[in-house]
Amino acid sequence: MIRRFTLLAALAAIVLSGVVVSTGLSASAASEIICSSTTSTENSGLFGYILPIFENKTRIKVKVVARGTGAAIEMGKRGDADVAFVHAKEQELKAVEEGYFVNRHDVMYNAFVIIGPSEDPARITGMKSAVEAFKKIAASSIFISRGDKSGTNTKELAIWEKVGIVPKGQKWYLEVGQGMEKTQRIADEKRAYTLTDMGTWLMTKDKDKLAMMIVLEGDPALFNQYGVMAVNPSKYPQVKYKEATEFIDWLISKEGQQAIASFKDSNGNLPFIPNAK
Amino acid sequence: MSSILEGFSQALTLILHLDAELLGIILLSIKVSGGALLIATLTGLPLGALLGLKKFPLGGFFVTILNTFMGLPPVVVGLFIYLLLSRSGPLGFMSLLYTPVAMIVAQSVLAFPIVAAISHSAIAGVDPILRQTAVTLGATPVQVSLAVIREARYGIMSGVMAAFGRVMAEVGAILIVGGNIAGYTRVMTTTIALETDKGNFELALALGIILLSISLMINTALYMIQRRGMVRTNR
Amino acid sequence: MSLHLTTSNIFKSYNGESVLKNCSFSFDQGGVYVLTGPNGSGKSTFLRICSLIECQDSGQIHYVSGGQVLDNDLALKRRITLVLPKVGLFNMSVFRNAAYGLTIRGIKGPVAIRRIDKVLDFVGLSHKKVQNARTVSSGEAQRLGIARALVIEPEILFLDEPTASVDQKNTGIIEGIINTMKQDGKVTVIMTTHDRDQAARLADHLLVMKDGEILSAPFEKEKI
Repeated sequence: MIRRFTLLAALAAIVLSGVVVSTGLSASAASEIICSSTTSTENSGLFGYILPIFENKTRIKVKVVARGTGAAIEMGKRGDADVAFVHAKEQELKAVEEGYFVNRHDVMYNAFVIIGPSEDPARITGMKSAVEAFKKIAASSIFISRGDKSGTNTKELAIWEKVGIVPKGQKWYLEVGQGMEKTQRIADEKRAYTLTDMGTWLMTKDKDKLAMMIVLEGDPALFNQYGVMAVNPSKYPQVKYKEATEFIDWLISKEGQQAIASFKDSNGNLPFIPNAK
Repeated sequence: MSSILEGFSQALTLILHLDAELLGIILLSIKVSGGALLIATLTGLPLGALLGLKKFPLGGFFVTILNTFMGLPPVVVGLFIYLLLSRSGPLGFMSLLYTPVAMIVAQSVLAFPIVAAISHSAIAGVDPILRQTAVTLGATPVQVSLAVIREARYGIMSGVMAAFGRVMAEVGAILIVGGNIAGYTRVMTTTIALETDKGNFELALALGIILLSISLMINTALYMIQRRGMVRTNR
Repeated sequence: MSLHLTTSNIFKSYNGESVLKNCSFSFDQGGVYVLTGPNGSGKSTFLRICSLIECQDSGQIHYVSGGQVLDNDLALKRRITLVLPKVGLFNMSVFRNAAYGLTIRGIKGPVAIRRIDKVLDFVGLSHKKVQNARTVSSGEAQRLGIARALVIEPEILFLDEPTASVDQKNTGIIEGIINTMKQDGKVTVIMTTHDRDQAARLADHLLVMKDGEILSAPFEKEKI
């Protein structure tokens, strides 16, 4: 019994130390970059589609860490990423100005839309202005906010600012602190309105059996610009600036832009429109 | 309700047609948690043994600390390790953030107090007569300690298994320090969290079932070993 | 070279209560020494101090071999052994329990197996070899304790109340074992018992203790 126990322990030790060594080694392989991005971008499936194309061409492995936009930019500011691929242009430009990032480029866009219950209790359908729609929702229904400093959340707060209402803490305003898709589902359950991006909406509305619809789209205020930028190597010399630049150059190249344009989500929609200059 | 049943049947299909990606996720879970467990055992068991075998002025205080740390919130550990390993943190030069090694480190911190505290209580609970018995038969102090530790082996094993259960089920710490990178640091629990977020309940459920099955297998094995070991004394 | 034990002026107290008072005795012959006396007379404490498991407060314990006084070190401790009144058995098989003393001395292989088989046979436990030691009866446990002590071939074997917690049948078996050892004459046995009749049956040399003192020693067997 004892002998068997020791034997087992010894065996486990050998196997596991092998594991530690092997995982340790794979961690230090060259030509890998960390790209901080947002959950909505990753959940759209875009990376799963375009990254293999890039990796095949350049042999640079891009490891995506998905966070809210705020956290994704913060990761770059701390030097924990090599490149950031996010959608909050104002925040991005500010971070570039502060010297944390360099080489920022527009990559693509998609559109935000306001969605609400199919029965549309606040009667938003037919309205043209997101600001007006928000005002009406505040007066007569419930609004679900991501509340997570994501790009969508940032966009939403910018609209509330134009409305002139501080929504935080109001009875009709619920901050859920969740990803886009979950937020949509919560809105569905609560029969409430929320702001979502077209990509997520198109991909999930049928799958999640949402009894929701787009109540407002097309307002230029609901434009969602994606950008990419490299972490400033003079701030963090360890970052892989060369590889990051290669990734950025590819994204804005003809080939990268075509890849983005041809990406279809699982429902066959084309959520992103490339617009690099 | 129907979606749960539907999920279960789809989950079973997924398990039966285990694809390479799913298998990789499962294996990484086992590797990370197993590696963490190994480190926690190699450090926690000696500490537990030391506290259980010898009297120290602050021994009781250390045991209280260990018992408190058994309930460390994973996200707090994750945050702490993140700040430590971040490129702008003190250990940033090692470039370990968002690697499986970082995940192993975080889970080791979570598992260590469990292994140490349970080992301690198992070793301290060994009948003092056995220690004397070893002495009467001519054991050196080291041999006496080994005999006591061996006598506590089933208790120690429970501690190790409890720690394994905790780290396998843990999501907060590894999500923060591992980054949930597809094919690299994505494990079962982080995949479940992600797929639930994405609304892919079937895949999430399938992984949940696999996770539960692994726990069940481990606990069954543990139970069988212990049933053989914890024989009731007739005296 | 035979091993002898001399104790002189041993004092011991627990929490201010005097347990042994000026105990002096020389165990300089072979055979079976029996310490008897009422409960609380100090015989167990005396035995534990003699077997170097506990330390006296004052006085001397001298082990002598070939005219030389030995250091009370591990080498000496490995030439003697004590069987506790409640035998502590490791959570493993009867065989591995009996093997413990050899295992820690690094004695392995066929030599060890032969010696273990012999002692288990001697105490009548051969048929329980593979059973977990925690599942044996108290009488068997006591016998296993003796076998585990004998396997290391001690020169002096201390037995503390070897039959206090066992039934009559096992008491008989254990007394038989002690008698056989006496006839073989290879090991000096120093034991305690509160059972005066048993003391009379087994002793070559009888010591009576009362209130921490050795009353008169050695008694002639016939005078009991």
